[in-house]
Amino acid sequence: MKKRTKKLINYNAYGWFFVSFALILFCVFTIYPAFESIWLSFQTFDEGAFRFSGLDNFKRMLGDKLFFKSMANTFLFLIIQVPIMKVLALSFATMLNKPKLKARGILRTAIFLPCVTSLVAYSVLFKMMFSMNGIVNNVLMSLDVLSESFQWLQNPIWAKIIIIIALTWRWTGYDVIFFLAAMQNIPAETYEAAQIDGSNSWNTFWKITLPQLKPIILLTMIMSTNGTLQLFDEPMNITMGGPANSTLTMSQYIYNQSFVYSPNLGYSATLSYVIVFIMIILAIIQFRITGDDAK
Amino acid sequence: MKIKPKFTISTKKINGWITFIILLIAAVISVFPFFWMVVGSTNTSADVTMGTMSFGSALKVNWNNLVEKASLLRIFWNTAKTTLIYTFLSVLICSMAGYGFEKYRSKSRNLLYNVFLISMMIPFASQMIPLFKMMNKLKLMDTHTAIILPTLAMPFLIFFFRQSFISFPTEIIEASRIDGANELRIFFSLVLPPMRATFAAGFIYSFMKQWNNYLWPLIVLQSNEQKTFTLLLSSLSSAYFVDYGQLMLAIVLATLPILIVFLTMQKHFVTGIVGSSK
Amino acid sequence: MKKRFIALTLVVALLITALTGCKAEKPAPDSSGNAKNENNESNNDSTDTSEPTTLTVWAWDDNYNIPIMQLAGEYYAKENPNVSVEVISLAKEDVYTKMQTGLSAGGTGLPDIVLLEDYVSAKYLQTFKGSFADLTDKVDYSNFLPFKIDAVSNSGRAYGVPLDTGASILFYRTDLIQEAGYTDADMQDMTWEQFIEIGKAVKDKTGSYMIVEMAANKTTLLRSMMQSVGKWYFDSNGEISIVDNVALEKGFALIKDMKDAGILYEAEGTGDRAGVLNNGTVASIVNGPWMASTIKAATDQSGLWRIASTPRFSDVEGAVNASNLGGSSWYVFESSKNKDIAADLLNKVYANSTEYYEDIMLAHACVSGYIPALSGPAFETEDEYFGGQKIYQIFADTLAKVPGVNYGGYVAEANDAITAAFAGVLSGDTEIKAALEAADAQLKNQLGR
Repeated sequence: MKKRTKKLINYNAYGWFFVSFALILFCVFTIYPAFESIWLSFQTFDEGAFRFSGLDNFKRMLGDKLFFKSMANTFLFLIIQVPIMKVLALSFATMLNKPKLKARGILRTAIFLPCVTSLVAYSVLFKMMFSMNGIVNNVLMSLDVLSESFQWLQNPIWAKIIIIIALTWRWTGYDVIFFLAAMQNIPAETYEAAQIDGSNSWNTFWKITLPQLKPIILLTMIMSTNGTLQLFDEPMNITMGGPANSTLTMSQYIYNQSFVYSPNLGYSATLSYVIVFIMIILAIIQFRITGDDAK
Repeated sequence: MKIKPKFTISTKKINGWITFIILLIAAVISVFPFFWMVVGSTNTSADVTMGTMSFGSALKVNWNNLVEKASLLRIFWNTAKTTLIYTFLSVLICSMAGYGFEKYRSKSRNLLYNVFLISMMIPFASQMIPLFKMMNKLKLMDTHTAIILPTLAMPFLIFFFRQSFISFPTEIIEASRIDGANELRIFFSLVLPPMRATFAAGFIYSFMKQWNNYLWPLIVLQSNEQKTFTLLLSSLSSAYFVDYGQLMLAIVLATLPILIVFLTMQKHFVTGIVGSSK
Repeated sequence: MKKRFIALTLVVALLITALTGCKAEKPAPDSSGNAKNENNESNNDSTDTSEPTTLTVWAWDDNYNIPIMQLAGEYYAKENPNVSVEVISLAKEDVYTKMQTGLSAGGTGLPDIVLLEDYVSAKYLQTFKGSFADLTDKVDYSNFLPFKIDAVSNSGRAYGVPLDTGASILFYRTDLIQEAGYTDADMQDMTWEQFIEIGKAVKDKTGSYMIVEMAANKTTLLRSMMQSVGKWYFDSNGEISIVDNVALEKGFALIKDMKDAGILYEAEGTGDRAGVLNNGTVASIVNGPWMASTIKAATDQSGLWRIASTPRFSDVEGAVNASNLGGSSWYVFESSKNKDIAADLLNKVYANSTEYYEDIMLAHACVSGYIPALSGPAFETEDEYFGGQKIYQIFADTLAKVPGVNYGGYVAEANDAITAAFAGVLSGDTEIKAALEAADAQLKNQLGR
C-alpha cells in the first residue's frame, strides 16, 4: 500500500513535467499580456498617454450601434456557416472513407487542398472570381442563368453569402482531415460486423461512425466557433466589411478601433473581452450538449 | 455474404457512382482556384484582371519583375526556418502537454487545462501591444525568435492532442509501467509511434499556421532581411499599381512549399486510413 | 528504442540552438557595411555624419515611393557618403498598424522616417503628440504649395516634408467618347451634368460604362468634389461638417444620378478596377496622377487615352475644375537616434533639389508639391500613350487651382461613415438628408464627440 502511494506522487510530478513547457510559455506569453490588456480596458488613450477611465469604455460599447451590428453579422455567419460546413465535411469524410471509391487518393487530396492557401492568395482569388469579369458571372451568363453581369459583392445579402462560400471553400477540407483522421481509429472490424448484420450505410453512419466521432466533432465545433467569432481575414480582404457594414465582423471592428481609426486600444480591449465572455458561454453550452466528461 | 441478391449489388454500384460524382464536383471546385492561380502567373497584369483563363507567355517577365523586387531565396529561407522550428517545437510541447493533461489526471491540472481553453478565445489583436512591449524589453525585436516563441504553447493543439490521447488505451501504458519502463520512454517510444497520424495532423496544423502567419510577424519584424512570404505578398498587393501577374507568381511560389509538405504529410496519416479499412 | 530517444533529444537540442541562434544572425540596424564608407574624409557637413549611418524608412509601393526614397538616399549620399537609406517595403495599411503599435508601446521599434498619407497624418500628430520630430526650423518650407504645408502642420508647427500631390484628373478613352459623338474639346472644363449627358451617350452607343468608382469605399469622387469647392468632412476648425455640407449633398445626388443612368461601374477592388479600365468596360476615371501606370498596363490601348480636368459643380459657389486626391509626406520620429540626419536629408533633397524632383517625375510620374519643381523642361515631355499630351503640365496646372482644406486627420472614420450611409442612398432606401444625418451620428460616435 505504501509503495503505491509513493508511485502516485511520482506520477503527479511526471504530469507536471509533461505540461511544464507549455505552462511556462503560456504564463509568460498569454497570461501576462491578457492581464495587461484587461487593465487596458479600463483606460483611454489620449494625446500620447493612457489614463484611467473606469467603466467609460464599457458604457461607450453599450451605445455603440456599429458594434452590435458587427455582433449580429458575426452570429449570422456562425449560425449559418458552421452547420453547413460540418454537414458537408462529415459527408465528404464518410464518402472518402469508403474503401472501394474510385480515384480516392486524388479526390481526397483535392478536397484537402484549399486549406493550404494563404490569406492574401485566397482573398485576391475570391474577389476576382466574383467581379464583373469574373468566372462566376461568365459561367452563369453562358448558362443563361444571368442575362448580364451581376455585382455580387455590392448586394448586402449576396456579400454575406459569398463570405460564407469563401469560408466553406477554405475550411471544409480542413474538417475533413480531422474527421478522416478520427475515422481511422474506428476499427475496420466494427464496420465489417455491421455489414454482416445487414446494416445499410446510412444506419452504419448514425450508429457507428457518428458516436465514435463525437470527440472530434466537438473539437472542430469549438475550433469553428472560435474561428468564426474571431472572423477577420475574409471580410477584411474580400468585402472590407461592406456594403454598408453588412459583412463587418466583431474582430474586424476591434481591429479598426485599434489600428484604422484613431487608436482606441482601451476600447478595443474592452470589446475583446466581451467576445471572450460570449465564447466561454458558447463553449460551455457545446460541452454540455455533447456531454463531454472532461468538464 | 456471397449470397446477396443481385439488385443490392447494382444499387451499390449506383451509390458508388453518385458518391464519386459528388466528390468529383467538390474536388473540381476545390482545385479550380489553384489552376487559375497558376494560369495567372503566366499572364500579364492586364490579362489577369480581365479574367483570362488560358496560359500566357508572361511567366518570364513576371519572374524577372519579382526577382528584381525581392530576394526570394532569403525570404524562402526565413519562412522555412521559422516554420520548421516552430512546427517541431510546438508539436513536441503541445503533445506533451496534451498527454500530461490526459494521462495524468489531477484536479489542479484539469483546472489549468480549462484556463488554456478559455485563453484560446482571446482575440490576438488585444494581446498585441503587451506582447510587443515584452519583445522589446527582451530585445527580441526583429528576430525570428520573436515570431516563434510567443505562440508555441497553442491551446488548440494541446486540446487536439489531449482529445486524441483519450483513444490511446491506458492499460497499455500501465502494462509497460509494470515492466519498469520510464515515463518519458513510454511517451516517446510507446505512445508516439502508433499515434503518428495524429502527430501528422498536428504537424500540418502547426506548419500551415506558421507558414501563413501574418499579423504578428508584421508587427515584430523590422528589416527586409528578416521578411517572410506573407509579408511579401501583402506588400505586393497594396501598391498603387498592383501587378497581378507578378502577384499571382508570388502566390504560387508561396503556396508550393506548403503544398509539398502537405502532400508528404498527408501520406502519413492516409496510410493509416487505408490500412485500417483493408 | 533507446537510440531513437537519444536521436530525438539531439534533434530538440539542435533546434533550440538554432532558435537561440536566430538572434545573433541578424546584423544590427546601424552597422551597415556599406561600400560608401571608404571616403570618410570627404565628409565636411554641419550634421554629424562622420559615423556610418543607415536611415531606415517605411514606405509602401515598390514601383513608386520606395524607389523614390532610395533615389533620395543616393542624392544625399553624394555629399554625405556615410549615410545610406534602407527602405522597408510594407503594405500601406501595415505601415499604420506597425506604427500605431510602436507608438502605443511608447515609441519603440520605429524607423527613422515614415511615409504618411495627408489624410491620416493629422490624426497621428494629434494622438501621439511629441512622437514626431518638429521640422519647422530644420526644413526650408518657403517653396511648398500652401495646401501641402497645411497638410503636414499641427498647431502652427510643421512635422512633415511633402512628397507628392494627387492632382485630381479625368482620364478617358477618346475613341469611346468620339464614338458617342463628342470631341476632346467637350471633355475639357465641363460640369458634372454635362459629364452625365456624355456618359449616357457613351453607354448607348458603345455599351461601356462612363465612370468607375470603388465599391467598398465610394469616396474618391466625393472627396474630389468636396475639395473642388473648398469643403471637407471637417471645417477649418476641425469640427465635423457633414449635415450642412453642400458638396456632399450635391455629390450624393450626382453619383446617384450616374448610378440610375447606368453609367457608374462599382469595382470590387483595385484588380477589378484595373481590369475594367484595361478592357474597355469603362470609359473614364477620376483619380490622381498615379492612375496613369495602371492605365498604361494595357499596352494595346496606347494613343486611345486622354486626360482632362475634373468636371465641376454647376451650381455651387466657387466650384473649379480642379481638386486634389490625397498625396503623402515624410515624417521623422522623435525617438530616432538619427533624427537630425533624417531631417537634413529631407531638407537637402526634398526642399532644395529640383533636379531630384525632375528625376522622380519622369521615372515614376510623381508630381510634387515643391513649387520650383512644378515648371521646367520636364513639363514639356509629351506622352505618346495619351496622344502626345503634356500630362505633367496638366497636373501642375491643376495643382495651382486646388482650393485648400483642413483634412482633419480622421478621414478613415469619415470615409467609412459616409460609405455606409451612401449605400442606402444608392439603393433608394434613404433620403440624402437622412443619410447625411446618419453618417454624422456614426462619425460623432466614432470620434467620441
